[in-house]
Amino acid sequence: MASPPGEQYLLLVELVHKHIDFHDAELRAVLEMHEIKLGIDCNFIALPNDANVSAGSIDCVSQSKRPFRILSFPWSSIGSRFSVCDEEEEEQENCTRTETINLVTSLARCTLIRSVLELWGYGNQLDNCVGSIQSSNCLERHKAGKHLSAKSDGAKGYGSRSWKITIHTLGTTYSRDEQQDMRSKFSFLHLPGPVQMEHPDDEYLFIREVELDTAGGAVYPRHSEKKELIPENDKRPPLACYFGRILGNKRLGRNWRGGNRLEQYSLKKRLYLGPTSMDSELSLIMSNLAKVKIGSFAFDPFVGTGSILLTTALRGAYAFGTDIDLRVLRGRSEDENIRSNFKQYGLPSPELVRSDNAIYHRHFREHLPFFDAIVTDPPYGIRAGAKKSGSRRDEIREVLDEHRHDHIAQTKPYAVSDVMADLLNVAAMTLRMGGRLVYVIPSMLDFNEQEDLPRHECLRIVSVCYQPLQTELGRRTVTMEKIKDYDRNKRDQYLQGAWVNGAASAEKVANIRERLLEAAKKKPGYEEKAAARKLKRKATKEAKKKAKREANNK
Amino acid sequence: MHYDIQTSDRTEKGYPLDIEVTTLKYEESSINREFILKLLPKVNYPALYSAVSQVCPHCTEHSLPELPEHLDTSDEAISNLDEDTIGKLHTWLLDVYLVEGMLVCPDTGRKFPVKDCIPNMILHEDEI
Repeated sequence: MASPPGEQYLLLVELVHKHIDFHDAELRAVLEMHEIKLGIDCNFIALPNDANVSAGSIDCVSQSKRPFRILSFPWSSIGSRFSVCDEEEEEQENCTRTETINLVTSLARCTLIRSVLELWGYGNQLDNCVGSIQSSNCLERHKAGKHLSAKSDGAKGYGSRSWKITIHTLGTTYSRDEQQDMRSKFSFLHLPGPVQMEHPDDEYLFIREVELDTAGGAVYPRHSEKKELIPENDKRPPLACYFGRILGNKRLGRNWRGGNRLEQYSLKKRLYLGPTSMDSELSLIMSNLAKVKIGSFAFDPFVGTGSILLTTALRGAYAFGTDIDLRVLRGRSEDENIRSNFKQYGLPSPELVRSDNAIYHRHFREHLPFFDAIVTDPPYGIRAGAKKSGSRRDEIREVLDEHRHDHIAQTKPYAVSDVMADLLNVAAMTLRMGGRLVYVIPSMLDFNEQEDLPRHECLRIVSVCYQPLQTELGRRTVTMEKIKDYDRNKRDQYLQGAWVNGAASAEKVANIRERLLEAAKKKPGYEEKAAARKLKRKATKEAKKKAKREANNK
Repeated sequence: MHYDIQTSDRTEKGYPLDIEVTTLKYEESSINREFILKLLPKVNYPALYSAVSQVCPHCTEHSLPELPEHLDTSDEAISNLDEDTIGKLHTWLLDVYLVEGMLVCPDTGRKFPVKDCIPNMILHEDEI
């Protein structure tokens, strides 16, 4: 399906060095959401020095977890089916006129994309990269302005476009002179317009990629800590060299992240927070994995402080949240609650209902499956113990009618294994076909993704992304999609089949608090630290009492 | 608006719930046509209409628009809806809040309290 080299339009996607396990999952979900079909509209291309990836494969997963992806589109589709237009007015025009999909706008939705280049050339060294540009026809096309929607008067003619070349060397520092040296290799382009440092029309980027460690630093650093050059490392060839024109430069700048984008909705500024609030970055990624868009009906059955629900609303969804805990639903005060958080960002109020997910079918009608996305962080007993309706006692006393309104319903502990089984079942029941469930599940290192995740006949697992939190503990973000209609008569069957390995897998997810505590106890120095903490608590308590006494005496 | 998806317990006939109004709130917000059009297919219109009819008599402060008794919510009809109808739907779907009141099961008579816009649907231990 790959078109011959001259006929390809290549995009280089640079990803941030975070949530590495999420890169491909998020990218694929966002492409699919915008009707950009992998394998049909575009293909992944292997990076230089990446022997593990077969060219043109759909399931491109760079085994070495490099922060780059190359997407190839047939040239004929640019300007017709797809556009890389960067002008706001033209963008409006395009949207209403045709079904043109703007690649810049679409990809901008990825939280983990750092920048996107129109790739002019690449290779495993600077010279190969230059050679690759010379043999491509990208420059010719740029001159002809073919993909710049030359129809509009807004796009500047080639001759007057201001430009600059930025040198981006991963994990390595090069002096100004060295950088200038690299720049001079591209003088053959003979770009006619003026060089402009601030906001040029075209910003070109030369990227020199090297092996990076998990922290984002170079595996073979060029300089020692004392800033001395390490000759062996300096002589090492790069992993790859890329050269291209930054897309979306006008609207998004060189760095697509940050600035005026959704990333500004960090937790720090939010009015109502709790110990369970999900960090906004992960929530944004989750809403992408769930393909939430304008008019989507999004549901969080364990809404808590509403942090995840908020990000779905930011994406334009109609937000619906339930929780069994009335206190958390109502918030701390008039100004500190879920609704005030939504108001803070100018979002319409979410629908909130106090209900119990374990008995969802008793609360809500089953007629039409209508949720587009269920995005949630279920309670798994670490920061908030889960509860469900029902009495802990064996004998249940009847509640008299006159007490009905004031009676505080009893709740009992809700085992994590049941939480997950019920969640999947509610999802299978209420999602429309193709709708997605995205949830987070804590897991220790001994978790087997194939066997230990909860299952449901009506849902297929799309992706599992791992995020390490501490040495022992991490969490997995699981994305599932509804592929089969729900059969009410099979409810018990569905619930019983949730855990493939039965009790054993459920156990791995449950009781994590106890297991963490066990692990902590085994560590050396635990006894001393625990004793020290106890003394500290006592001291603080005494100090408070003293302060109170003194205040009273005054 | 979520009333149209709520049901009472155990009974087949426990939907839709009847509404007893104590306090209403009306907060105007900007209309997003695309959003309403996407939302409409998921709404059970007769239930919405019945909810609106029950709530309407209580809106003394604001003059809220009337909704037509029947509305064709098929895909074709939806894309042809005029601005006026969209506006009315928007008002009722998104801008009117039941701040305090009761949701009553039409079958068993069980009342679910609504306070601060949040309905409390929790079943008591003897109802499980």
